[in-house]
Amino acid sequence: MVLLSFAKLVGRFHPLLVHLPIGILLVAILLKWLSIKPKYQIISIVLPLVFLLGAISAILTCITGYILFVTDDYDAQAIALHQWMGISVAIVSVLLYVKEKWGKLPFIPIKWSLLALFILIMITGHLGGSITHGADYLSSPFKKIFISNQSNEIIQKPIVQVQEAKVYGEIITPLLATKCYACHNANKQKGDFRMDEFGLLLQGGKNGKTIQPGNAANSELLKRMMLPLDDEHHMPPKEKSQLTESQIALIHWWINEGADSSKRVKDLVQPAKLKPILLALQNPNTTNTNIQTIPEKEVAPADEKILKQVQANHIIVIPVAKNSNYLSINFVVDSVIDEKDIQLLLQLKPQLIWLKLAYSNLNDQTLKGIAELSNLTKLDLSNTAITNNGIQYLNALTQLRYLNLVGTHTTSMALLQLTKLTKLKSLYLYKTGVSAKSISAIAALFPGAIIDTGGYKVPIYQADTTELIKPVSNR
Amino acid sequence: MTQQDLHQQRLLREAEQRVIQMNTRRHFIKESAMGLGALALSAFMGSCGTKSTDALGGIAFDPAHPLMPKLPAFAAKAKSIIYLHMAGAPSQLELFDYKPELMKMDGQDCPPSLLAGKRFAFIRGVPKMMGGQAKFAQHGQSGHWISEHLPHLATVADELCFLKAMSTDQFNHSPAQLLMQTGSPRQGRPSLGAWSTYGLGTENQNLPGFVVLTSGGRNPDAGKSIWGSGFLPSVYQGVQCRSEGDPVLFLQDPKGVDRDLRKASIDAINQVNSEEYKQYNDPETLSRISQYEMAFKMQITAPEVMDIQQEPASIHEMYGTQPGKTCFANNVLLARRLVEKGVRFVQLFDWGWDAHGVNSSLSIDIGLVNKCRAIDKPITALILDLKQRGLLEETLVVWGGEFGRTPMMENRDGKANAFKGRDHHTEAFTMWMAGAGIKKGYSFGETDEIGYSAISGKLEHYDLQATILQQLGFDHEKLTYQYQGRPFRLTDTRGKLITEILA
Repeated sequence: MVLLSFAKLVGRFHPLLVHLPIGILLVAILLKWLSIKPKYQIISIVLPLVFLLGAISAILTCITGYILFVTDDYDAQAIALHQWMGISVAIVSVLLYVKEKWGKLPFIPIKWSLLALFILIMITGHLGGSITHGADYLSSPFKKIFISNQSNEIIQKPIVQVQEAKVYGEIITPLLATKCYACHNANKQKGDFRMDEFGLLLQGGKNGKTIQPGNAANSELLKRMMLPLDDEHHMPPKEKSQLTESQIALIHWWINEGADSSKRVKDLVQPAKLKPILLALQNPNTTNTNIQTIPEKEVAPADEKILKQVQANHIIVIPVAKNSNYLSINFVVDSVIDEKDIQLLLQLKPQLIWLKLAYSNLNDQTLKGIAELSNLTKLDLSNTAITNNGIQYLNALTQLRYLNLVGTHTTSMALLQLTKLTKLKSLYLYKTGVSAKSISAIAALFPGAIIDTGGYKVPIYQADTTELIKPVSNR
Repeated sequence: MTQQDLHQQRLLREAEQRVIQMNTRRHFIKESAMGLGALALSAFMGSCGTKSTDALGGIAFDPAHPLMPKLPAFAAKAKSIIYLHMAGAPSQLELFDYKPELMKMDGQDCPPSLLAGKRFAFIRGVPKMMGGQAKFAQHGQSGHWISEHLPHLATVADELCFLKAMSTDQFNHSPAQLLMQTGSPRQGRPSLGAWSTYGLGTENQNLPGFVVLTSGGRNPDAGKSIWGSGFLPSVYQGVQCRSEGDPVLFLQDPKGVDRDLRKASIDAINQVNSEEYKQYNDPETLSRISQYEMAFKMQITAPEVMDIQQEPASIHEMYGTQPGKTCFANNVLLARRLVEKGVRFVQLFDWGWDAHGVNSSLSIDIGLVNKCRAIDKPITALILDLKQRGLLEETLVVWGGEFGRTPMMENRDGKANAFKGRDHHTEAFTMWMAGAGIKKGYSFGETDEIGYSAISGKLEHYDLQATILQQLGFDHEKLTYQYQGRPFRLTDTRGKLITEILA
């Protein structure tokens, strides 16, 4: 066992050692080529030494490479060409050394063998790189540059009807592809385990089967995923991207239901716990109740001078995020908003998207100016003196997602005029004049929006009023 | 001239010379020592200078305006946080984690498999199992299990997101509370609130950015360091306020000192401090100046914001407040008022949840029920009140203790306790969050049949902290502070975002 670990250690020096012959032999080729010219003839003295070093390092690299292949899990087929090319490099470099040192072997044409060595090094190096980094290591960024929209990465296709989806083909495969295939594929089979084909996945690895159809709890595949992150047997390895809780649940369910390769979701029993996860696959947006309040299109940065003036007026202005030019403004410190402030805000019109005027001295007149800020997506007018007369101006703010009118003199009459606010997603109407009767009419006007009229009561229950159980000193 | 006069003159001359000597030497040593010290200090405190630390991955820190609002790394879901910490650790088995199997084992000896290799704070020998001491029912569309002890909270079940498999590695209150709030079981690290105000500043410059309110008759076991600023500039520590009497101690001017005199004296102090700053360039001096200015402004704004009497009767009825007293309900209402005025982080500590069963007020069957009654109505009111004001969308409410309680009945030192109680339990406990981009009516993580340990969705405090920072607009791995030659962060080297609960 110790011997094996030692061999493993030696083998793993291969990726390090490999750079020596590449470097030394390339230098040797360059020097040899230069030495042909009379000006550089003096170089010839060192040539045997350089070729000797190159040959020794090439031989050592071949040895460690072979040990790595034997002790680790590599595919013999994928390795074969790299292996023989590497051995050829070593042989050619030894021959060249012999020729340089003793001037023997006249049958070897020096220029051609230099060229051959160069080509061999290039091919061997490239093949080696493909084995460690994957065959598409160079080609995928290359493709991204020159062939846009054509990536060979497996993208999880959106599932239109989750009940009709093939469990293995459309749900499980994409998960395994993104998290497991990198180390368990045709070229690289850690633990002698290939996962990229159904048959091989079921066949298992060097520790036997990893999937017991119908028995997820005893399936090594799942056990490894469930181990603590720090456990050395945990899969995927700690430093790699991990499966999420719901992805593990899906795999668990698929194995428990027999690990079948062709059944559809509707053919399998679906426990209650799994239903939301399955539904989420169908339409990733159904669980996303977030309201998009920041426009996707970027905007030019605001004028620094105006921002300074705004700040000097004790108005709080902050970008909505670090890499965004969109602004958020509130009047939480200075609750007095006047004509001058409005003029300043109007100069920030393209950038200003969130505005909070709660508890300010805003009135219908000043609101008219605010309504010109047509990019606003969030507007908080709560606890201000605005009335129905002011509300009508809001129709200009067609981008609004959030409108807070809590504690204002608004009635349903004015709200029903706001027909242009089609994107509204939340409307707060607590402590307004909106009557309970008209809520359904307002709701019809803003489909999909949350409309909250508040006035919640937390009634006093019998248990609240009964005297608290008296502490007893001893029982 | 007499002999005596001559003598005196000689003495005077000698004294003068001595003074000159002393002065120069002292002066030299003082100046050089300070000079060397300053040199060393600037090297040690790489990030404390007036320069921006963006290059170091930290946050721009302007010592003259330490609390100015700063922009989040990405658009934040939460503008403010109300963190309700139930100090002493509430029992998950009587409140949210319904375990019918445990009830069947009630009164039986604890199986040895649950005790082997484990350490408990007080349980010794073989304790008896104890079923949940409450009736449970499912509530709302989400079907959350909530016990009869929290009937009001059950009505807003669909607003809550439960984390059923929280875990910790500290089974004593102080270290566990420190771990939960500062990310380290030992003192000296900045608290969650301090990190938040360090990263984001606060919108209302007339109020502190991080307010702490306590109830339950005691400060939490870990003391004030759980809302401390650790190695961050001291301006980021939590400001403890009271709901009884002056909201902040010594807020009012002393008798006979009017506003003008107070202003004049603060100007004078700041004058001295700015001279000091010119000489030594210590950024803490600038922070001190700004703190004096904030305190002066706070004298006007704080009493108004913190006066819960200004709320209408209907709101008082909703929260079940007791104006004039120190109680949890008052603190909760105050928290809502503060958040409404732009305070970044409000943290409530309510002591008294440590139901060991040693006396009636610290027992599962009496004390716990009373504690539940004291928080049930106010917390429910808070959620509904934030909701109706449109604030729940941008306010994150977090509820929980520092650890959970054992499924076994505590047998302190091997003997039965006077009342029903449970010991500290680190392996599984329940917390919940609501608002600000967190899934509604969702439950994450599961415990085994008796609620002893997590079987899925196991979380540690680092995961919770990472998620809270995420909602405030930070990548928890990037919110760092350079200290002792390396960047520090709240989640240390751990922390995994709980993406499943994000809406």
